[in-house]
Amino acid sequence: MNSLQNGAFDLSNETTREDFNLLLKALDASISGIILTDNRLPDNPIIYCNKAFEIITGYDRSEIIGHNCRFLQKEDRDQKERAILRDAIKNGKNCVVDIRNYKKDGTFFYNELFMSPIKDENGKVNYFIGVQNDVSLRKKAEQDLRKQQELMEKRVAERTQSLKENEDYLASIVQTVRESLIVLNPEFKVLSVNDHFLKTFKVTTEDTEGRLLYELGNGQWNIPALKELLESILPTNNPVEEFEVEHDFPYIGKKLMILNAHRIELEGQYKDRILIAIEDITDRREIERRKDDFLSIASHELKTPLTTIKGLVQIMQRMVPPGLDEKFSSVLDKTGVYVDRLNNLIAELLDVSRIQTGNIELHKDLFDFDKAVHEAVETIQVATKSHQIKISGSTNENVSADESHIVQVINNLLSNAIKYAPDHKEIDVYLSRVSNFVKLSVKDRGMGIRVEDHKKIFDRFYRVGDIQQRFPGMGIGLYICDQIIKNHGGTLWVESELGQGSVFSFTLPLNKHAA
Amino acid sequence: MYTKTILICDDDEGILEMLAIILEGSGYTIIPVQNSLNIYETIEREHPDLLLLDLWMPVLSGDQVLRSLRNNPQTHELPVIVISASRDGQKIAEEAGATEFMSKPFDLDFLLQRIHQYLN
Ligand SMILES: Cc1cc2nc3c(=O)[nH]c(=O)nc-3n(C[C@H](O)[C@H](O)[C@H](O)COP(=O)(O)O)c2cc1C
Repeated sequence: MNSLQNGAFDLSNETTREDFNLLLKALDASISGIILTDNRLPDNPIIYCNKAFEIITGYDRSEIIGHNCRFLQKEDRDQKERAILRDAIKNGKNCVVDIRNYKKDGTFFYNELFMSPIKDENGKVNYFIGVQNDVSLRKKAEQDLRKQQELMEKRVAERTQSLKENEDYLASIVQTVRESLIVLNPEFKVLSVNDHFLKTFKVTTEDTEGRLLYELGNGQWNIPALKELLESILPTNNPVEEFEVEHDFPYIGKKLMILNAHRIELEGQYKDRILIAIEDITDRREIERRKDDFLSIASHELKTPLTTIKGLVQIMQRMVPPGLDEKFSSVLDKTGVYVDRLNNLIAELLDVSRIQTGNIELHKDLFDFDKAVHEAVETIQVATKSHQIKISGSTNENVSADESHIVQVINNLLSNAIKYAPDHKEIDVYLSRVSNFVKLSVKDRGMGIRVEDHKKIFDRFYRVGDIQQRFPGMGIGLYICDQIIKNHGGTLWVESELGQGSVFSFTLPLNKHAA
Repeated sequence: MYTKTILICDDDEGILEMLAIILEGSGYTIIPVQNSLNIYETIEREHPDLLLLDLWMPVLSGDQVLRSLRNNPQTHELPVIVISASRDGQKIAEEAGATEFMSKPFDLDFLLQRIHQYLN
């Protein structure tokens, strides 16, 4: 480097050419991209780029000389760095930006761009120099770090906040729940109550807190059932849950309530305090009852015209003159089948409503289980020409159960067996006594049910995936059956594999002492 | 030839009509009564051999009718088949003294079979 003398260039001819080449080599050895643009030409085109620029961007210099540098942004033009650059260029200033750029093959990278004007002796900007570095990795690390920090900060803030708010929060929950809460000391003196309690029972804090529960409001809480609960059940360390109490309160009238009571077992200042939560379900019960009534009436009303239709269809069936087209009677038969189906649906609707509200009524009587099963099977067999139902085994037992409901379950299992095994003619019903239970199984050789679905098919409104498409209408029947059997203290379950047929079984307990 | 008379009491016209068609077709004389308030007087006048009685009817319900029929020595023994779409119908009907209960919708063949049985 002969032209560089004491920090300044000596531009005499002999040295320049050699040194110029040397500098170019130095520029090409840089790992930073370096470009020059000519600001005097329109749109500030690139007039020089080094090797590193080619490597970083993936473009060959021949492809970019004469272009404005913005091509590196591709379509990603909506960045604030762009404006910063424009400003700096306009004002002939330095700037450093991290700008999102794209290589020739479209790969994204973060470009740390240092841009600086080159001015002549009059201060006029003739050129710009740009130095580029691919800082994607650094950028990503920075971003990750920042995210991590933000997350940590957020967590710390949340934690602090939550600790600080915890008490207020708990207090406000207690005040806003739509359930009445009472805290008692071990001697049944009221320590605190929430707003809902005050509102529901139309009392004030003054005439509640610090007084004995049983003495509140002229003894309106002196309810025998509640006393029993607090004095005999709670001390045994058992929480009391879903305890129903009906009580006629002065001022607010008859209320149906659900009580949950807990004794606080923490050591320390809260020990042995009693927490009572009271839910007023008077209105809910009333609504449920009205829904039941509505469905009862609706189903009754629907069944009346259905009875007429069914009768008329049967009359037509009798009137079919001999020798008439087969099709005619087959259409009539089908009409009858669908009328029956509609009738079943209406009945199920009512059943579900009653089950949901826990109003399923069982009229238990002692009856001959085997006989009932044989009769039910016979009825279905008469109406089913497609399948053979075979009964084997016996229980020789009388069971105490609601016969019509049990028959309903048997019918449901049989009609499912028929419906879901259309190509397999045999259905086996097996009766047995197991310990102190009677057991009935219905076995078909139909499509079977995947193990994953064994529990689901007893859900309300569940129908097994594609079976639903091929065999619609299983509907709510099994749900109802399950509930009926459960209400009798038995179980209903299925054993089956896909393609291997299904066995539905239920048990009913034998109660030797009943009736 | 004396034909047996069946009185049908139901507030639903469709049911009355439908039952009339099938029962007349089977050779019975039918007296339809849509308003249960008229039932005593009709029974008094016509002396039916059997009564088909609905439960849920306005003003005077089927079980009320049935109770007073059972308290009256003249109709104490009258075969009464109660037909109802109500779930609890069976219990109500039995307690009121029904000879037989059938839930709606019923099977005509079954109904006819029972009627023949009571009337022969
Ligand atoms: C010397 C120089 C180098 C530049 N290098 C880049 C670069 O590497 N990447 C980029 O996105 N923009 C770069 N620019 C900026 C663009 O060329 C352009 O000035 C910027 O996008 C703003 O102008 P515009 O809004 O007309 O696009 C550079 C500009 C100059 C003068």
